[in-house]
Amino acid sequence: MLLSIITAEDHQTRDQALAKLCESLEIDQLLQECDELDLFRRESSNLYHRVRAIFFLQAIYRFHLPEKLASQDTGSIPFNGYQKLLERHFEEAIDAFLLVQHNFGPSDAICSALASAYHQLAFQTLANQVRKSVRTVRGNQWMFRMGHPEDHPLRIRRELLEKEDHLFPILCERTPVRMDLTHSAWSDIFFLGMDFPRGAKVLNVSVDLAVQGSNQPPRPPVEAYLRMIDQPVLRLTSIDLKATTEIHSLGEVFDFAKDHLGLLKAAIIASGIIPPGIEGSGTSLKSLLAKIAGQGRGIELISSVNNIPKGSRLAVSTNLLAALISACMRATGQTHSLTGELTEKERQIVLARAILGEWIGGSGGGWQDSGGVWPGIKLIEGEIASEADPEFGISQGRLMPRHKVFNHQEIAPDARQALTDSLILVHGGMAQNVGPILEMVTEKYLLRSPDEWNGRQEALALLDQIIEALTQGDIRTLGKLTTQNFRGPLQTIIPWATNHFTETLIKRVSQAFGEDFWGFWMLGGMSGGGMGFIVDPQRKQEALTTIQSLMLKTKKELEHALPFAMDPVVYDFEINEHGTSGEFHRGSEATLPPAYYPLHLPNRLQGPRSKLSQTDQAELTQFAHACKINPAFHSSIESLFETILPTQSHLNSGNVSLKELLKKQGFDQLQHEQIRKNLKEGRIGLAQNRLAQNSIIRDVRETDVTNFIDRSPHPELVKIGENALRAGEVAVITLSAGAGSRWTQGAGVCKALHPFAQLNGKHRTFIETHLGKSRKSGREAGTLLPHLFTTSYLTHNPTKDFLETVDHYQYPGPLYLSPGRSVGLRMVPTERDLRFAWEEMPQQLLDEQQQKVRDSLREALIKWARQSGEAADYIDNLPLQCLHPVGHFFEFPNLILNGSLAKLLQERPQLKTLMLHNIDTLGANVDPALLGHHLKNKAGLTFEVITRRLEDRGGGLALVNGKPRLLEGLAMPREEDEFRLSYYNTMTTWIDLDEILALFQLTRADVFEGNLDQLTCAVRQVADLLPTYITLKEVKKRWGNGQENVFPVTQFEKLWSDLSSLSEIETQYVVVPRLRGQQLKDPAQLDAWLRDGSASHVASLCEWQ
Amino acid sequence: MKIKKAVITAAGLDQRHLPLQTLVTPSGETKSVMSLILDEIFSTEIESAAIIITPESQRDFIVAVDKHLDRVTFIEQEKPLGYGHAVLQSKAFVEKEPFLLMMSDHLYLSQSETPWLKSLLSVAEQTGCPVSAVQATHESKLPYYGAVAGKRINGKADLYEISAALEKPTPTLAEQELIVPGLRSGHYLCFFGMHILNDSVMKYLEKSFEESPDKLPLTPSINATAKSERFLACEIQGLRFNIGEPYGLLRAQLAMAFASDQRDEVMSSIIELISSTKS
Repeated sequence: MLLSIITAEDHQTRDQALAKLCESLEIDQLLQECDELDLFRRESSNLYHRVRAIFFLQAIYRFHLPEKLASQDTGSIPFNGYQKLLERHFEEAIDAFLLVQHNFGPSDAICSALASAYHQLAFQTLANQVRKSVRTVRGNQWMFRMGHPEDHPLRIRRELLEKEDHLFPILCERTPVRMDLTHSAWSDIFFLGMDFPRGAKVLNVSVDLAVQGSNQPPRPPVEAYLRMIDQPVLRLTSIDLKATTEIHSLGEVFDFAKDHLGLLKAAIIASGIIPPGIEGSGTSLKSLLAKIAGQGRGIELISSVNNIPKGSRLAVSTNLLAALISACMRATGQTHSLTGELTEKERQIVLARAILGEWIGGSGGGWQDSGGVWPGIKLIEGEIASEADPEFGISQGRLMPRHKVFNHQEIAPDARQALTDSLILVHGGMAQNVGPILEMVTEKYLLRSPDEWNGRQEALALLDQIIEALTQGDIRTLGKLTTQNFRGPLQTIIPWATNHFTETLIKRVSQAFGEDFWGFWMLGGMSGGGMGFIVDPQRKQEALTTIQSLMLKTKKELEHALPFAMDPVVYDFEINEHGTSGEFHRGSEATLPPAYYPLHLPNRLQGPRSKLSQTDQAELTQFAHACKINPAFHSSIESLFETILPTQSHLNSGNVSLKELLKKQGFDQLQHEQIRKNLKEGRIGLAQNRLAQNSIIRDVRETDVTNFIDRSPHPELVKIGENALRAGEVAVITLSAGAGSRWTQGAGVCKALHPFAQLNGKHRTFIETHLGKSRKSGREAGTLLPHLFTTSYLTHNPTKDFLETVDHYQYPGPLYLSPGRSVGLRMVPTERDLRFAWEEMPQQLLDEQQQKVRDSLREALIKWARQSGEAADYIDNLPLQCLHPVGHFFEFPNLILNGSLAKLLQERPQLKTLMLHNIDTLGANVDPALLGHHLKNKAGLTFEVITRRLEDRGGGLALVNGKPRLLEGLAMPREEDEFRLSYYNTMTTWIDLDEILALFQLTRADVFEGNLDQLTCAVRQVADLLPTYITLKEVKKRWGNGQENVFPVTQFEKLWSDLSSLSEIETQYVVVPRLRGQQLKDPAQLDAWLRDGSASHVASLCEWQ
Repeated sequence: MKIKKAVITAAGLDQRHLPLQTLVTPSGETKSVMSLILDEIFSTEIESAAIIITPESQRDFIVAVDKHLDRVTFIEQEKPLGYGHAVLQSKAFVEKEPFLLMMSDHLYLSQSETPWLKSLLSVAEQTGCPVSAVQATHESKLPYYGAVAGKRINGKADLYEISAALEKPTPTLAEQELIVPGLRSGHYLCFFGMHILNDSVMKYLEKSFEESPDKLPLTPSINATAKSERFLACEIQGLRFNIGEPYGLLRAQLAMAFASDQRDEVMSSIIELISSTKS
């Protein structure tokens, strides 16, 4: 049945939704369909039929089968299949998983593995096709054939080789960026244009920019400069990133992540100067340069982005790449003219090369992103593949879209001016990864879910209306339509296109401007970064300042909850009617941007003047002259001195406050030095985290756990639980001291405060959701449930302030924060640990080019670790980013040490049970049956586990040398051991208060007394029983204009679940439903979380008021 | 139509002495390059030739043309304004008749039984169209030649109708504009240095020169002619030697020696040379 939908010719059949068709199918029927789909996708020669079949399989295994399977079937995932998955051998992985399914029947576990394998196979298939198409675009093909310098067919144009006053002339390319009025629901994804060309439409505008208040007129924000040099090297400089390098070998050109010059290298390659076909040929760069530029000559390429931060959603990096490629193509005669605008054909080839460059550099954008290359306002559309196209017979559409530039009759100058007069273009300051959103769009498009498919049609209809409004110069209507687009199709397809920051901002702008606020406009893939507010032109000036201050205010309120890379900015802008454009300067006119010179002159000034080459001398003279007469160079001398002699205060400022912070947080220097010593001597480290190799790890027996899945709760247990609740004997502890490293890729915000999703029509933070559950549980039991959030140096003040701002969400019960009492200082990792993590542990291989970039980055990071000093203090960042929490074991002891437990006991002397859980375990509530089970069995600790899925990595419930316990992934002696385990640790733990105090050899009286020495000693004794793990975490370092680098750092941890290994406390395990136990670790999980019923389940557990 | 006239360009700044270089022919005679070219031309029905030279170089060329002096006219190109400009100097000489155009720094060795020049003339005479000799050339040589796009003429394996001609295209442009079905990947039909041109080309040259008097290449006028009338390209199976490039003369000489009775002797000398020379 499902096959006929894929192969149908008519749209009506073809566009049916998978979910609807699967609803009525039984398990056996679904499995039958899967068999047919799998056979079909193996045999079909039609790429898009194949990909759609794979996405169908992925969706069935991810959503439809698990829903119908009896979820108590634990099942297992074969390790060899997992390994194949990591190695990107998807076909073999699928075969391994299918074999298990065939032999043992379907299970939740194997479904998760198959879903993951099909998901990755689908995207790999699409990526392969895009890559193939990029290579086969006419004008790109020759670059993959060229493998020897003697065959190099390009030559530098003569004009660039002729010096004047000892200086080579300079070629300058200035390029606007693009803002998309609508992308018709992300229809600029390559494969969408190729599969559904009639639905791939983008309206985008080329713009010049200036940051508001900079007193500069708008100008093309992206510039590339090229000139010849008298050395056989490639000299690359990024002025805005303050990075420069001289490349002497071919290998370095293809080493993208070594420095911040990957984009320039990609341009050199994609423009054909160093064609991709020559990679790995062993050729010398010198001979290659000699062939194209003449003996002894080299090329200098410089990029400059004028004050536009990363994440602007204006496709700055793609347009910069296009500018660099254009300059290189002009220099090598690949364009007709050295200066001025490009012809349409040349623009097309620049686009093809920019797509190629992005692929080479391991990144990727949409096909509209090079829009700045074209002038003014244009409609970019998918194009049906014709016989002459390499895509013909493979896909309906071409890789390369068609650009229709609107002339001034179609959109009159008045209309363009009206748009300029009403639009406030901003960067909200958030920097987020759009990648997962684009994957979601792809998947949803292929599954044709009705809401999303209708949304796509609606977005296409809106595009026509937006063009109509623009041609009429009716900006008020345009604002209405862009808002409708944002509220309607965009959020229907991807709810994550919006966020709490954006919503708050829209609300506040709307309140400030009422009827004069005409509309909101999301730029690019998601909101929070580049955005537009359309207002009555009469109020534009006022709006510029008001919106700036509203953004700053909102950012200030949310900066600990959401990842902001910078303060928000407002832009002045103008429509650029030229597109990319070249200039040629010689002699005294041939100067580079003022900021170039402080980067290069200090090196040249080091030696005696007599040793300077004639060219260097001429350049120095020219710079000196420019400083005298050119206003743009007035501050250059100052910058030059700043580069040569950086001021002392600037160097020291970070460290002073770090020292203060360490002191304040009770940092234990002695312990730190001991860890450093042990690390350096190899006594501790990633490899040493593991249990001894001769440890026997087995899956637990049925008798080791109590199964609570799909079992009607025993009335007796429910009653026990309800009684305890009613008597006020229970409290909840939510662990919220962490920064959610995976949630924001180390951005250092409080995960607890993250408004992660809309529940009941409003963005909810993790804290609000947990309080919502406690509110409901308390009400149902007729009691006020105490709720305590543990915090750390990083999260305490923001959490406290935030809760005050929201009036503690009007939580009726006792609500406490338990501040951390211990902190560690991060260290530079050892090379040994980095190599262990990256070379000895199984790794998810990336797509070929991305893997190359990652390998290069890792080599650079290993070099950084060696140069910075292995196990040295990590202090080269903001002070808060240098500290680390020391593991969630300490969260409970902290309650004892900081007096929170005493306070809680004062409030609830009858308190007997604590439910402790992670901030991201959203389904965990005070379930009376589970509570009753815990109480009835009189266990000290009752740990909740769930059946394992592929993504549940990092340990589980195991029989270790015959004893059941929770075993951390870090401690697994062998990687494959984890795959024998049926259950994954949720971290949710029911704690008998008196039992655990007994473990610490404390009584309630000791807790009340609060003798810190006694309490500290008690904590240390238990801590000593637990292993210390060394871990690598990723930490972001922000710099420049919204730029971010991610560094691996070493820290140590003691973990809560290791308490299960102690014989001093009685421990038991219960298997709970996945909806209760699953954790939200990564924003990329959110969409599936919403679709598989988890979100509505969580919402059903909460009461918000 | 009958081709009775030939034009040979020899006015390049670096070409002055090239036609004077001598080579030993397969038959063992020693001849200048120019004399060899004229031998080939006058072995057909062509009756007279004009040589375009730089000012004050006529004396050297009189020696070089040897026995063909009475059938040769020397025309001076006063300024080096491009290949097309050199051709334009012959306007009075050709008198609106179709003519053969050759370069004095190129030598050709035919690999088929019919000499290359006879093939080319025969095509022009049979079709009445201008014809350029072309050869499938690897893209790495594109910086040196003009190249054409065209469709193969049914039933003629070596004949194409030119749709566009570009001077020294980059491979980027060549791939977009000059792909010819049937050629190996990365190969384009590049000019072989011989053309049968007509008065239309002369007219376009004149027009272009009026518009842009600083530089006058030939290829744009061929392109313009091909857009307005049928212009053919004939694929030549032969060897071409550019004697102006390093070792070009040596290669031409070796090719001639290998085609002669002295082949074995020359080869053994080369082997001896290789074995006794330090690498």
